[in-house]
Amino acid sequence: MRLLLVEDHVPLADELMAGLQRQGYAVDWLADGRDAVYQGSSEPYDLIVLDLGLPGVPGLEVLAQWRAAGLATPVLILTARDSWAERIEGLKAGADDYLTKPFHPEELHLRIQSLLRRSKGQANQPTLKAAGLHLDEGRQCVVRDGADIQLTAAEFRLLRYFMLHPEQILSKSHLAEHLYDGETERDSNVLEVHVNHLRRKLGRSVIETRRGQGYRFGGQAS
Amino acid sequence: MRSIQRRLSLGLVSVMVIVGLVLAQTSLWLFEMGLQRYLEAGLRNDSESLLVALVRGPQGLQLDERHLSPAYQRPFSGHYFRIDFAESHWRSRSLWDQDLPLLDHPGLHSNLQLGPDGQQLLVLRSDYRRLGQSISISVAQDYTPVRESFQRMRQIGVGLGLAGLLLILLLQRITVRRALRPLEKAREQIAQLQQGQRSQLDEQVPAELEPLVAQINHLLAHTEDSLKRSRNALGNLGHALKTPLAVLLSLASSERLDSHPELRRILKDQLEQVQQRLNRELNRARLSGDALPGALFDCDAELPGLLATLNMIHGEHLALSHVAPPGLQLPWDREDLLELLGNLLDNACKWADAEVRLSVTETAQGFALSVEDDGPGIPEEQRTQVFSRGARLDEQTDGHGLGLGIVRDIVATWGGVLVLGESEWGGLKVEIQLPRR
Repeated sequence: MRLLLVEDHVPLADELMAGLQRQGYAVDWLADGRDAVYQGSSEPYDLIVLDLGLPGVPGLEVLAQWRAAGLATPVLILTARDSWAERIEGLKAGADDYLTKPFHPEELHLRIQSLLRRSKGQANQPTLKAAGLHLDEGRQCVVRDGADIQLTAAEFRLLRYFMLHPEQILSKSHLAEHLYDGETERDSNVLEVHVNHLRRKLGRSVIETRRGQGYRFGGQAS
Repeated sequence: MRSIQRRLSLGLVSVMVIVGLVLAQTSLWLFEMGLQRYLEAGLRNDSESLLVALVRGPQGLQLDERHLSPAYQRPFSGHYFRIDFAESHWRSRSLWDQDLPLLDHPGLHSNLQLGPDGQQLLVLRSDYRRLGQSISISVAQDYTPVRESFQRMRQIGVGLGLAGLLLILLLQRITVRRALRPLEKAREQIAQLQQGQRSQLDEQVPAELEPLVAQINHLLAHTEDSLKRSRNALGNLGHALKTPLAVLLSLASSERLDSHPELRRILKDQLEQVQQRLNRELNRARLSGDALPGALFDCDAELPGLLATLNMIHGEHLALSHVAPPGLQLPWDREDLLELLGNLLDNACKWADAEVRLSVTETAQGFALSVEDDGPGIPEEQRTQVFSRGARLDEQTDGHGLGLGIVRDIVATWGGVLVLGESEWGGLKVEIQLPRR
């Protein structure tokens, strides 16, 4: 999952980055509204966390420009302006959720999880379910038939992405784009290694290789 | 304050009555004086004719009957004379059995004497010397017809004056009403302003009212502007304080404090208190209260957006509905009312299982708002605690527990009443009665 964080307050951005990375998200950070308008629509983000008080272009304006350009990525607004009038304005500009400062980091994580599930068409439920697997995002482990299976951080990220896109063919480059932030060097061999680790833990058939096309998750998990 | 119309009428009537009376009386008096001068000339002529008619006869002085006017012969003809000698006096035959008294001194005397037949006489006494004797001749003329016609003139004058006064009053009333029409219009507009049907007064007014209307409009714009500015400043202040607070909250939850659970607990508690206090005070400061008379909340336009926002925040599984008469407008500031309804509905959504309903109705006294949910509700004995300071009945649900506090503040500012009850689904029903402004 690759997120864009647009927040101009550096200490808060640092905190949020650290927290989100612990949650297994690849996060790009921008502090200026003008950069955000461009980068938000040019990079394939899965979700955007947008602060409203931004230098350059105000957050609501950034959001309106994205939506006008046809960007469908879910946007979570983060703001200290918590009046209902402003919340309604945010929604009208095209926001998908609204979180007011100050907030508990866990609340932000929960909101991001549920927003991601919602945007991928998954029902609002505490754990992510696909192909007989339950992914516990809090503990970063997967549950199958009542038994916990531990995952490394990289495996967790990869599996979460697969589980949010069940039965879709995902190319290696697509996966790399959504699993690593803009500054990490993308090596497709590393992806192959992680896919093999997951197969070893969850069974070979859980991730199917389509030669020349990519991977497909959600076959028979045996 | 008495009405301008009445003051103008009263002033006009008193001035008209005083001036009219003085004028009428003076002109009558002057006219009467002129008439008497004219009659006096006639009387003097008569008295000189009498003097000429006095001739020396066989028994001394005698009156030459041929020179006498026949009016002196006919009884009560209205023309009389009396000639006084040193020891005797003669009277005209027309006096019949009446006596024309001798005046004290020569000159014209009007309406002093009640003559025969109740006639009012105008008498002129003149003193002469003739044929070696002092003679005093008094001639009198009946003045009654003249006085009667004067009386009639006065009556007609009073009648005409009264009619004129009424006419003038009527015209004045119409004129004043026409002249005051812009004032009346401004008054109506101010009433509309109070009811929230307009936000500015019409600038097309007469020159006299222009400064007033311009000043009111300026004040309105100024109030609106300063409200906007102070809200903006509060927003900035909130932003400036809440962002670092978010950093601290995040730090307090970070794994760096895993080894100091006590420290983390204290930090979290204190930060939470700061946050609660900050939110509450900022929310209160943002209320406009009654500052803007022209404020208006259009239910049809605003409620769907509010409900959509709540649905977005709380998830699509909640069915949010609203019942409001079409075209209903509430005379309060949009942001205040959104804050009130938003917090009420937010609270209801946190507790509801599936349904939340907002109803807005217009009552005889004002407006009634009610928010119902199908959640667990609040037991009657706990309802009073909901609003007590710092109470957090929703501790386990996310949110700051201030929602109902700010609701109470807003309702209190507007002079309304808030009642907690039970909804038909068994959940909480918050009912608010707001008096009309």
